[in-house]
Amino acid sequence: MNMHAIQILFLKDLFLSRRYLFGYLVGGIASAAITCLPNPTLNFIGFLLIMTVAIAAGIHMIGMLLLAESTDQTRMFVMSMPVSLLDYSLGKISVVLTTYLIPWSTMLAFCVIATFVVPGAKHGSVVVLPAIFLFLLCGFMIQLVTAVVSESVGWTICVMVGCNVLLNVFLMKFFENPAIVAARKSESVIWDPVVLQLLGVECLVIVAALVAAVFFQTRKRDLI
Amino acid sequence: MKATIEDPMVSEWSASLQGVSKTYKHFQLRDINLQLQSGTVVGLIGPNGAGKSTTMRILMGLVNPDSGTVSVFGKPVSSSEGSVKKDIGYFSDDMRLYKPESIGWHMQFVRSLYASWDDTYAKELLDRFGLIERQTIKGLSHGQRVKAMLLLILARKPKLLVLDEPTNGLDPVAKHEILAELMKVVQDETRTILYSSHNTQDVEQISDVITFIDRGQVIASSNRDDFLEGWKRIKLHVQDDWKAPHIPGLKLESEFRNLRVFSCNSVEDDLAARLSASGAVIEAMEPMTLEEIFVSTVIRGREENKS
Repeated sequence: MNMHAIQILFLKDLFLSRRYLFGYLVGGIASAAITCLPNPTLNFIGFLLIMTVAIAAGIHMIGMLLLAESTDQTRMFVMSMPVSLLDYSLGKISVVLTTYLIPWSTMLAFCVIATFVVPGAKHGSVVVLPAIFLFLLCGFMIQLVTAVVSESVGWTICVMVGCNVLLNVFLMKFFENPAIVAARKSESVIWDPVVLQLLGVECLVIVAALVAAVFFQTRKRDLI
Repeated sequence: MKATIEDPMVSEWSASLQGVSKTYKHFQLRDINLQLQSGTVVGLIGPNGAGKSTTMRILMGLVNPDSGTVSVFGKPVSSSEGSVKKDIGYFSDDMRLYKPESIGWHMQFVRSLYASWDDTYAKELLDRFGLIERQTIKGLSHGQRVKAMLLLILARKPKLLVLDEPTNGLDPVAKHEILAELMKVVQDETRTILYSSHNTQDVEQISDVITFIDRGQVIASSNRDDFLEGWKRIKLHVQDDWKAPHIPGLKLESEFRNLRVFSCNSVEDDLAARLSASGAVIEAMEPMTLEEIFVSTVIRGREENKS
C-alpha cells in the first residue's frame, strides 16, 4: 500500500469536487438554519431540505467521483500511474465518504446545537437526530456498495430509490414510537434503549457496508 | 510466434509477455509472446480489433491476463502492484484527462506522483507543442489533447513508453510534431518504446522491430530492415500453360491475362534464376512497402488458419 499515492488521489478528488461540496455545505447549513425558525411549517420545510441535501449529495458524489471516472475514461489516466488497485480503491472510497460526511456532519452538528440554543426547542429531541442522520448514512453506504459492485448508474439509482422509500417508512414508524414521542417532548436528554438499539443496528450496517465496499473493490481484477 | 529479436550486445529486457492469453465474450488474445529489448522501438501493427490495446493494457497491469506472465524491468506486473508503473509512460487513445481542469493542474498532479518529473523539459514541451498551461482540457482540440497527454508522459522521463495509437485521428502537422518529439526520445538509447498503430507509415518511421498482430495472435515479428528486404513483389509474364514452381514463401497476389503478380516473403539469391528456369519472364522485382507486407502477412495468416 502506497500511502503517498492514496493521499494524492484523495486530494485530487477532493479538489475536483470542491464546487459541489461547497454547494452542499451551504445548502445543508441553510436547510438546518430554516429548521430553527419559529414556525412549524418552516421547521418541516427545513427538515425536508436537510433530507434532500443529504440524499442529493450522496448520489451526486458517488456518481461524480466513482462512476463517472469509468464513463469519462479518466480512470485509465489515473491507473497508468504508479498506483495499485488497492491504492486506487482506498483513495476512492475514502474521498467519496469524506465528501458526503462533510455536509452530513455539518448539518447534524448544526441541528444538535440548535436543539440546545433555539428558544422553545426541547432538549430531549436531540436523541432523534443521530438516529435519522445515521439512517441517511446507511442509505448512502448501501448505494456506495452498489456503485462499487455494479459500476452502474442505473443500479445505483434503483438502490437510491429503494433507500428513499425505506427512509419514508422508517420516519413514519420512528415518529410513531412511544419512546421517541416521549423523548421529543422531554426537556432532558434520555437515551431510551429503543434509540440505542436502533443506533447500534445502524452503526453495524454502516461498518458492514464499508467492509463490503472495500472488499469488492479490491477483489476486482480489471479496472478498465 | 515469439516476437523477439536477439542482439548479443544487449541482454536486458525492458518488458516481457510470455504465453499471455485473455478471453472476452467476443474476443480472445492467444499465447502472446513479446519481449522488448532495452533501447529498441517496437512497432505493433494490427488491424482494428486485433488485440493491440489489450496487449498493452495487460503489459500495464490494467487488465489481468487469464494465463501467462508479464514483467517489466524484471518485476512482475499486476493490478495489485503499482510501483512497477513508475518507469512506464502509457498513452492510449481511449484515455482522457479531467475536462474542467487545466494543463497546469494536470502537470502538478502528475509531478506529485513522480520524483523523476522534469519541470524544464515540461516547459519546453509546452512551448514546442504550442500549449498554454492555464488552458482547460475542455477547450482543447483532439490534437492538443494528445499533445498534452504526451507532455504529461514524457516529462516524467519514463524508461519504457507504451503508446497505443498516439497519432490516431491527428492532422498531418500534429502527427509530424508528435513523431518528431518521439524521434528525439528514441535518440536516448536507454529508452524502450512499444508503439502500436494501424498506420504502417508512422510505425515504419520510428521502429527498429516490427510485430504484426491479427485476431489476437502475433503473426510475424522481425527487424524492420529484415522485413523490408525480405519481401519482394515479382511481376511475371508467363505463357498460358505456365505452372508456378514450388518456391517457399511465393504467393500469387493477382493475375491479368498473361501477367502474374506474386509476393515472396523469403527472397533467396536464386529466386530469379528459379523463376526464369520455370519459363516465366521477370518483368519486375520490386521492394514492398510495410503496408503491403502487413496486408499480405495478415491475409496469408488468415488463409493458413482457414486451411
